[in-house]
Amino acid sequence: MFRNNYDNDSVTFSPQGRIFQVEYAGEAVKQGSVVVGIASKTHAVLVAIKRNAEELSSYQKKLFPIDEHVGIAIAGLTSDARVLSNFMKQQCLGHRLTYGRNMPVRSLVDMIGSKAQINTQHYGKRPYGVGLLVAGVDQQGGPRLFEFQPSGMTEEMVAFAIGARSQMARTYLEKNVDSFKACGKEELIKHGLRALKESLVQDRELTIDNTSVAIVGVKKDKDGTAKVEPFKVYDGQDVMDWIDSVSDDKENTAPAPATVEESMDVDNDA
Amino acid sequence: MDHRPQAWGRPRDDVYGAYDASYLHDSGPKTATQSPVVTGTSVIGIKFKDGVVIAADNLASYGSLARFNNVKRLRTFLNSSVIGFGGDVSDMQYLDRLLSELAIDETYETDDTPEDDEETTKKTHLNAANLHKYLQKLLYQRRSKFDPLWNQILVAGTDGEGKPFLASVDLRGTAFSSASLATGFGSALAQPIMRRYAETDEQAAKLTREEAVAVVKECMKVLFYRDARSLDRYSIAVVTKAGVELAEEEQLEKQSWAFAERIRGYGTQNV
Amino acid sequence: MTSIGTGYDLANSIFSPDGRNFQVEYAMKAVENGGTSIGIRCKEGVVLAVEKVITSKLLKHGANKRIATVDRHLGVVYSGMVPDGRHFVERARDEARDWRDAFKTPISTADLAKRMGGYMQAYTLYQSVRPFGITAIVGGYDSELESPVDGEVGSGPSCGAGGKVAGKKHGGPFLYMIEPSGLYWGYYGAATGKGRQAAKAELEKLDLSGDENGLTLEQAVKEAARIIHVAHDDNKDKEFELEMSWISGHDGPTKGLHQEVPKALREEAERLAKKILEGEEDEEEEKDKMEE
Repeated sequence: MFRNNYDNDSVTFSPQGRIFQVEYAGEAVKQGSVVVGIASKTHAVLVAIKRNAEELSSYQKKLFPIDEHVGIAIAGLTSDARVLSNFMKQQCLGHRLTYGRNMPVRSLVDMIGSKAQINTQHYGKRPYGVGLLVAGVDQQGGPRLFEFQPSGMTEEMVAFAIGARSQMARTYLEKNVDSFKACGKEELIKHGLRALKESLVQDRELTIDNTSVAIVGVKKDKDGTAKVEPFKVYDGQDVMDWIDSVSDDKENTAPAPATVEESMDVDNDA
Repeated sequence: MDHRPQAWGRPRDDVYGAYDASYLHDSGPKTATQSPVVTGTSVIGIKFKDGVVIAADNLASYGSLARFNNVKRLRTFLNSSVIGFGGDVSDMQYLDRLLSELAIDETYETDDTPEDDEETTKKTHLNAANLHKYLQKLLYQRRSKFDPLWNQILVAGTDGEGKPFLASVDLRGTAFSSASLATGFGSALAQPIMRRYAETDEQAAKLTREEAVAVVKECMKVLFYRDARSLDRYSIAVVTKAGVELAEEEQLEKQSWAFAERIRGYGTQNV
Repeated sequence: MTSIGTGYDLANSIFSPDGRNFQVEYAMKAVENGGTSIGIRCKEGVVLAVEKVITSKLLKHGANKRIATVDRHLGVVYSGMVPDGRHFVERARDEARDWRDAFKTPISTADLAKRMGGYMQAYTLYQSVRPFGITAIVGGYDSELESPVDGEVGSGPSCGAGGKVAGKKHGGPFLYMIEPSGLYWGYYGAATGKGRQAAKAELEKLDLSGDENGLTLEQAVKEAARIIHVAHDDNKDKEFELEMSWISGHDGPTKGLHQEVPKALREEAERLAKKILEGEEDEEEEKDKMEE
């Protein structure tokens, strides 16, 4: 039944010091559709491919606001993501109530990291089957982007992609990593969408139905003080112009084939 | 005779009748702090152009007895804020421990700054406005449990935008802020004097540091003249964006008690 | 490991017939795969350093700190599974806080090591948990100053016995290393992770006696940087970031606090480390030539 004796639960080390159950949970992230996040000096963006279970069904949401200054992108089990997202929302509200400020993004990410780590050390628990990209701004003054893994590992990134075929998106991001810092928000979204396209299956395209974009950032007030530009998700018609701006015609490459409808490879994975 | 241990040391029932244990049982509601015990008197603070000046004397009274004359009632937080405590001293000590734990939590946050950038580190720390909000929630929570922390508190420092911040919170969780603030006796004696110099934030923004310090020192003198629970040794702090300058062994200077003669009931005069 | 596959290694807290707890041994394997961490105790303080292997080009440079502050005077670094290390650090912070609450004084390095050793050991006792996949190095400087009465409120009695012995030295720098089994010892120099063998060999060459001729804190920082570079040598293809922290006494550069080594000093230390390593390589090449 099992691949080996050491992968039955998350409390057993293999002779090489690995915990297979945690690694398998990492595979669940790759079942989800791809999401990309990039941070510049002024903004952080999240972009995502949404899937629909069948032609007439709605598309599974991928980007969620947590608080005014933070939001997440998810890949993997949506229901696990909801648990983490609710937890993060509560923490942010609690912090705002007690201290009257935005919760520092690093503390927030550390908290879900700790929560996830517990699930990898106790029998009868399972690791979360979801990966997150967390984008936000805080007192440090700049936008920040974190990756969260089922193992409880959390790392701050300049840009990252997780989910199905995300390696292609990461390769694109690595090629352009040095240019992100200076990007404005429009440029950043374009980079995000281009990275997303790299990960698309052949014959698939970005459409207003399957693409989500979210932005959070800092803007200077008239008197020069930095203010949070709140986390906002864009769907549907609102993303049309961005999709057009990175369409193959616009990018001066071979025209793409006509839109092919989404396949049926979706269950409860987002 | 009753040889059970419970009966040891008690008057013998057969001689004195059944023991009346009713006094051992607390009847009536559970009570917490009903009044402060060892207390500190006024704390005063005033904003100026680039910061806040705050002061409190070094006395802790036990009723009308000047019990401890070396108690520091201004506490610094991470060299960026100062908290002045009036009211119960043991509750102040409790709050001080709480705040130093909070300050240690803040040192964890430095793990989060890329490179050792002091400016950024400072921005990520809790500022005076955040601290004030925290104390307000804490004190309100305690009063709602009918177990208040018996203090009146001033918080001085800078807010999220680096502007001078001064606010008060009391044992009921009541919180407000103003260009100048005073607790206890000071709210009657020092507040009108400070308002002459800074009634509004706009006026406070015109005060220089030297002017603000002079006003506060003058107020401390008035308080020593008229407040019988005060001391002529005091602590004074100047909080600016650059940090906290705290002096804890200041002595009131140039006192003149000439006015005292005109007060009925003062000293040994007979009227 | 002849007993692999006999079933005694499938659950924690199980002894094999020859008296081994395999799951703990496997946990140590997880440590041995992690980036090298070291700690140096010298006469003026403690230095902690870690080699952070860069797993992705997309990681933000200089973020993602691996050395953590536990209390003002205490730092922790670890090799192995990073989320387990975070758990360890959080527990250590709780212990330090509880100690302060109970005793109104900072926890000593030795006491923290004792408590965390006990905590790690507890995770080897039950089938319902797994051991920690980390080895942690705990460094601290216990203050030699009279600790203020109740967190500095008031100045306390200025006379009286106070329980102090005249001339007795209190406090000082301390270093401990705690393994997945819960085993811990005090060290002059400690190393764990992938490059521990090379690092240990280098540490043994240092004068960490703490007497007059012993290493100064600044020298220790430079040695730490060099040792991490030496330990990384076998793993040359992968890039890494060096992270260092230090703790001195109240009269030293950090004033008794656990802090990140200032950027300028770290860069200087790294420059020297690289120079020394290149020098050695040249020497070896020359030697080879001579032999030819």
